[in-house]
Amino acid sequence: MRSENELIELLNRDLNLLSVKKLRKQNISIRLENEELVSGLNYLKSHSYIHLATISCVDWIEDNQFELIYHLFSYEDKISLSVKTKINRQKSRFVTIKNLWGVAKYYERDIHDFFGIKFTGNDNMDELILENWNEIPPMRKDFKTRQYVDKKYDWRQYHGQE
Amino acid sequence: MNNKYESNKWQEVINWVQKRSLFMLHYCTGCGAIELPPTMTSRYDMSRFGIGPAATPRQADILLITGYLSTKTLRRVIYTYEQMQDPKFVMGFGSCTINGGMYWDSYNTIKQLDKYIPVDLYIAGCMPRPEAILEGFLKLKEKIETGNADGYKKYNKEYETYKKNQEKVLGEVKRRQ
Amino acid sequence: MILNIFGFLMMAFSAMALGLLFIGIARKVVARVQKRIGPPFYQPYLDVLKLFTKNSITHGFIFDFGAIMAFGGMITTLFFVPVGPFVLYGMNGTLLLVIYLMAVAYLGMAMATVGSGNPLASVGISRALTQMLGYELPFIVVLLTLIYSSNTSSIIGIVQAQQSGFMNWNLINIPIGTAVAFIALLGLMGKKPFDAPVAPSEIASGPVVEHGGKYLAFIMLQHAVSVVVKTALFVDLFLGGGNNIFIFIVKMLIVWLLAALIGSIFPRFKVEEGVLFYWRWPLIAALLQAVIIIF
Repeated sequence: MRSENELIELLNRDLNLLSVKKLRKQNISIRLENEELVSGLNYLKSHSYIHLATISCVDWIEDNQFELIYHLFSYEDKISLSVKTKINRQKSRFVTIKNLWGVAKYYERDIHDFFGIKFTGNDNMDELILENWNEIPPMRKDFKTRQYVDKKYDWRQYHGQE
Repeated sequence: MNNKYESNKWQEVINWVQKRSLFMLHYCTGCGAIELPPTMTSRYDMSRFGIGPAATPRQADILLITGYLSTKTLRRVIYTYEQMQDPKFVMGFGSCTINGGMYWDSYNTIKQLDKYIPVDLYIAGCMPRPEAILEGFLKLKEKIETGNADGYKKYNKEYETYKKNQEKVLGEVKRRQ
Repeated sequence: MILNIFGFLMMAFSAMALGLLFIGIARKVVARVQKRIGPPFYQPYLDVLKLFTKNSITHGFIFDFGAIMAFGGMITTLFFVPVGPFVLYGMNGTLLLVIYLMAVAYLGMAMATVGSGNPLASVGISRALTQMLGYELPFIVVLLTLIYSSNTSSIIGIVQAQQSGFMNWNLINIPIGTAVAFIALLGLMGKKPFDAPVAPSEIASGPVVEHGGKYLAFIMLQHAVSVVVKTALFVDLFLGGGNNIFIFIVKMLIVWLLAALIGSIFPRFKVEEGVLFYWRWPLIAALLQAVIIIF
């Protein structure tokens, strides 16, 4: 059982962290380089962070970057750890971690559905949640939701409406 | 008022029987599903009106759409609806089925259910409480008795229009045999 | 000849009416147990009428044939069970014949299942046939005991052996056997602790998952007749039968309501639990009863 500060000390010693932040009690986020992410996750998995809760993604359209966030949890430390990395928005390609956690292939398909990021090594990139989608992925910031809705669905007309 | 039925005594008897015995199939999407158990059990007890749950679309008379429908679920709802046997009635619960409700600008949620399948009765509310649901059932029974709940006939007659609307949203939809 | 056919038809139709009435009363009683008002007692009639007015879809010849076989099998069984003073066949061996004929209805359902091709229906009918293995074993042991003790295998013979008063009923003569037969009757009728074959929330009403419209109406009528047949059989064998039709119907209603009340307070057995239950205590009790009667 490590405390938050002990964990930060350990991570600073063994990993090449870009930044580390203690968000609140039992909640830490760290930032890694692209190339070091898989080895870093491997290291964390061998240090009791065996639970991959989910993978999430943020579209930083001004910085031209996608941010991938891997949410890990340790049943020994009782700490949830967010491992972040930023990738190029134009390239929108990253490596899979399905060899570390088998479930990751579904999370990666999910992210491919909504952000259009391809994961090298994960070949099955069929639609997981959307059906027959042929626009740009809907969670990207440059997807114009209102325009799309106006085009695809008909609004209900009420009496007396212009 | 549909004049065709007023002259037909036999149809009136059939309507009366159908009014008194309704098996409902709840397609539980969204938050309306949680309002149905109290409506069915001891407190509100809808079975005293002759309304009971059915397990499969083949046996059911009413299809309850209890909330928002994403395009992916809409496809399943259409197939469920087409598996049901005539006469069949559809009830839409809450503002989500009426005009999209709080999902009014969602890219993946349909805005009005009656473009895709005929809806005999809407219950307003977000979500309607069991009292409102019972009131809705009583209204539906009235409509069935007067022969006004004829959504399934409209669906058979305007099948191509409905299919066109469905295809606009879903891309490709199976047609019934 | 004509009169005979008329009699058969009368018996079949009145059994359907009586069975639907029984089901309606049971629904009302169960509703009162659960502090509900419940549907009116004539609700099952309305349900069946409504189902006949609906469109229905067939899944091929085997499906139609299965539904008819289930319905016809149950009606045929009815003709061999004496209901009060109405006895159509009284020859020796009717008891064993009835046990065989009851399986025909299940086999009809199995055929309809094959015709419909729905996997949930297959699950349901395989559960029903598995459960049949469970309750038939103790039931047959009790029936053999009964045949031994009354020295006849005709149902009407067993009824006549109990005629001379309450103390001659098989309920008094073989009490443990009666209890075992009642527990088997619950499984036979598919009442609540043993209704895994039709579990609506798990396998969507099992064998009847593809039945709609008039097919479902036939299945409901078959169920109504089966209620009459099975309660009448129980009354004939253990509760002394009856020369008066009204007394007989009251006895049937008591048996049916007891089953309905037990059903209203019990959750559902898994099918293998049900079979194991039948093969444990009821079977031991039935064998014990057999030993007591024979020696």
